[in-house]
Parts: sequence; C-alpha cells; structure tokens
Amino acid sequence: MSIDKTDPFREARESDRTVVANYSDERIPMILRHREVRLAARDWQTYSSDAPCRVPIPEESDVRQVRQLPIEVDPPEHTDYRKLVLPFFQRPLDPTMAPKIEALVDTLLSEAMTKTSVDVVAEFALPLQSRALTHLLNMPMEESELWISWGTHVFRTGGDSLDTEQAGALDRYIEQQLDRAEDNPGADFFSELHRAQFKGRGLTREEMTGIANLTFAGGRDTIINLVSSGLGYLAQNPKALQQLRENPSLINTATEEFVRYFSPKTHIGRVATKTLDIKGEAVEVDQRVSLCWASANRDASVFEAPAEVRLDRKPNPHLGFGHGPHSCLGAPQARLVMRSVLKRLVERVSTLELITAEQAIEQIGGIERNVGFEQLHIRFSE
Amino acid sequence: MPLVKYIQHDGSERQIEVEVGQTVMQGAVDNMIDAIAAECGGACSCATCHCYVDESWRSKVPPANDIETEMLECAVEPAAGSRLSCQITVTDELDGLVVHLPESQY
Repeated sequence: MSIDKTDPFREARESDRTVVANYSDERIPMILRHREVRLAARDWQTYSSDAPCRVPIPEESDVRQVRQLPIEVDPPEHTDYRKLVLPFFQRPLDPTMAPKIEALVDTLLSEAMTKTSVDVVAEFALPLQSRALTHLLNMPMEESELWISWGTHVFRTGGDSLDTEQAGALDRYIEQQLDRAEDNPGADFFSELHRAQFKGRGLTREEMTGIANLTFAGGRDTIINLVSSGLGYLAQNPKALQQLRENPSLINTATEEFVRYFSPKTHIGRVATKTLDIKGEAVEVDQRVSLCWASANRDASVFEAPAEVRLDRKPNPHLGFGHGPHSCLGAPQARLVMRSVLKRLVERVSTLELITAEQAIEQIGGIERNVGFEQLHIRFSE
Repeated sequence: MPLVKYIQHDGSERQIEVEVGQTVMQGAVDNMIDAIAAECGGACSCATCHCYVDESWRSKVPPANDIETEMLECAVEPAAGSRLSCQITVTDELDGLVVHLPESQY
C-alpha cells in the first residue's frame, strides 16, 4: 500500500507508535497524537524551547546566528518578549485592516483574470504575503518588492537545503532597517523595537534582530503554502467554491479547515529537559523531539473523517497554529489573508481551472509529506 | 430578543440583544466588544473568546463539551465559570445571561 503523502504519519499514529525523523547527526522522535501533542506543547518545563536555532526542524544554525524571539525561549522571558510584539501581530484584528488586505487580493485577482493562467505560488501567494506584511509591520508598500525577490522561503532557494547566501540577505536587510529606524524613527515595526522596554531596559540589538528574524522567516512559506493549497483545492473541487459562493458565512470555518487539513507548518522541535520515552524511543536530556501538528490535525479520535476537507467543520480544534504559550503570533494575519482571498474570490471569480501543478514535498528525515506546491498554474475566469 | 449582559474587566457593562441561535461570542463581536477577540471566528480553534459565566447562571448554561474543556486549558487565567463564548448559543432560557470578560485574551 502506498503511503498517503498528505498524512504520512497515519499508520504510526493509529497504531500508537512514533516515527523518527532521521538526520545525519540526530534522531528526532515525533509526537503524533492530538492529545499528546497538546500536552507536550503546554509542558514547556519538559519540552523546552530554550535552544537557539534548534526549535525548527531541521535546525538552522548554518543559516543564522541569532536566537529567534520569542519562539526560542521559555516562559517567563518568553511571555515578556511576546507582550512586546503582540500589538503589531494583533493589528489584523482591527476592522480597518480587512479592506486593506482585500484590496491587495483584488489587485492580484484583476491581474490574474487578464492572463491565460498564473502560477499561484510565485505570482499570487508570494506577492500577497509580502504586501500584506507591509500592513502588519506598518512599512511602506514599496518594501514588499524586495521581500518578494527573496522567494517563497527566506532561508531556501530551492529544495530543502538551507541557503546561507539567501539568509545573509535577510540579516543585512534587518541590520539596515534597524539602523534606519534608529536614525529616523517612525511608527513602523523596526522603530517600535527601538522603543520597546524589556524588564525596564531597551532591547539589545541582538534581541531586536532575533524578533525581526522570526517575523520575516516565520510567516512566509507558511502563508504562501496555505493560500496556494487552498486555491489548488478549490480549483480541483468546483463544488467547494460553489458552496462558499452560496454561503460566504462559511469562509471562517473554511479557513480553519484549510489550516487543519493542509497544516503548512508540519512540526516544530522541543528540547528534552529530562530523559523521556516517546512510545519506546528513548530521548536523552538535550535531545530533540518533534511536536507534529500535521499529524495531530488528522487524529481520528478528535476529527470526524479527518482525511476529508469539510468547509463547515465546527468545532475544529486544530493545532495548525501550534498550541500553548508559543502558539503562532502570526495567526491573525494568516487568517485574515486567507479569508480575504476566499471572500474576494467568491465575489469576483466564476471558475478556477487547474492547468498544471507540481506538488512540493517536504523531506522530514526520511519521511515525505506534501506541503504546498512548487508551482501551481490556475486560470481565473470572471 | 434575549438580553446578554457583558461585564468588562474594568466593571463597565454592556447589555446587548442577541438573536436566539447566535452565540455569546457573536453578540460581542457584532457590537465591538474588544475584550472578545474571537480570532478563529467561532470554530473553537483559538480560545480567544474566553469569558466567565456569572455564578448565578452557571447551572443554566449547558456544560462545555470535551473539546471546549481542553481548549479552555489554553485560555488566560481560567477559573470557575470559564467558557468559550463561541460555544454558548443564546436561547430564550438564557435571556438575562451575565458574562464577565477577562482583562486580556493573551
């Protein structure tokens, strides 16, 4: 039987085993069940994030020196850092933001409808993610041109290997912006980092860089994959598009369902602070384990028919944005972007036709999982 | 239409008519009560519509299911009466319901 690459963890999860992601110098047992992932995500005393460059899997010490904040520290420091940046990451909850993001979608839809087809990844989702980020960070729209030029993944130029040159471009950009904001402060994200007070002092340059690095790296390929996957699904399932058109009130639940089903962030690492036994796999202190959101989101003990996309699924306690103290800061932005796409799509586009698609495959230490597309050509018809 | 009283953390009160079948969350969001963030829009995915049902109403509100109970473990400062307001559907029996809102959902 071939393995379903949308859910390569199924057999292990259902037989209550783990799978191990095997890297050249590291074996990472994966926690696969919804309940167990949730418990581990909340138990930061055991499953620590206090590990620079080791929260992502594979680890990123080759592509950055800085500790990403607040994701790579534990409470209570984590909580204080998080409070500093929360006002920016909550901007999407302000009702004035939705029309701005919808306007970005509109521009891209108008362009798409003049063409025979567009590559949704490079020509729609990437520019949308980058332009939407200018609104989140209160930066000029022109900045997005440079961000778009970095491509889908800021640390990767293709495949799954990490790209040091590409990462250097981000480092230099952050350095320049922090310099600029120091000399000419405004109301933008970088200027606020200079103003922020942490435990009664200003942030160090390293802390500011760590926050900015996460901001640019974290919500990039994930949002692009979410939007691309959602559009790919609707192009292949015209009835679903029709369902949304007839009942736009399903846009919120559809967005949550796309986050669950496609789980753009497969998993995240934690470092064991004591010896653990993950379904028979021994984990020593300072070894890593994976909290596998993508597997938890297909757990049949929580989700009825987990392999089906149900646009009206409710309740939908998915872990697509993680769980616990480190749950995704960018979730409001991701939700707003996806909802805006769906809203304007059903109002303006009559049909989506899939022309060609090349599935992207994430290599997870010997396990393959479908995550988004390398390219996805769709015809948008008025 | 049933009335729901939302008592903010600073003590200020809003009485809002909420249609039968709507949720307590929706009543707050539709009326710009910012203390209910409701990031996921009512799918029970986010735990940012946390509220505390007033003691006098706890026995009258149908209890939380397992999913909601687990989600509540992620809410900020869960306490007696903690509920996700997206999971409380307004009925005629809940006319006059009183909920207290937390200082923050984060």
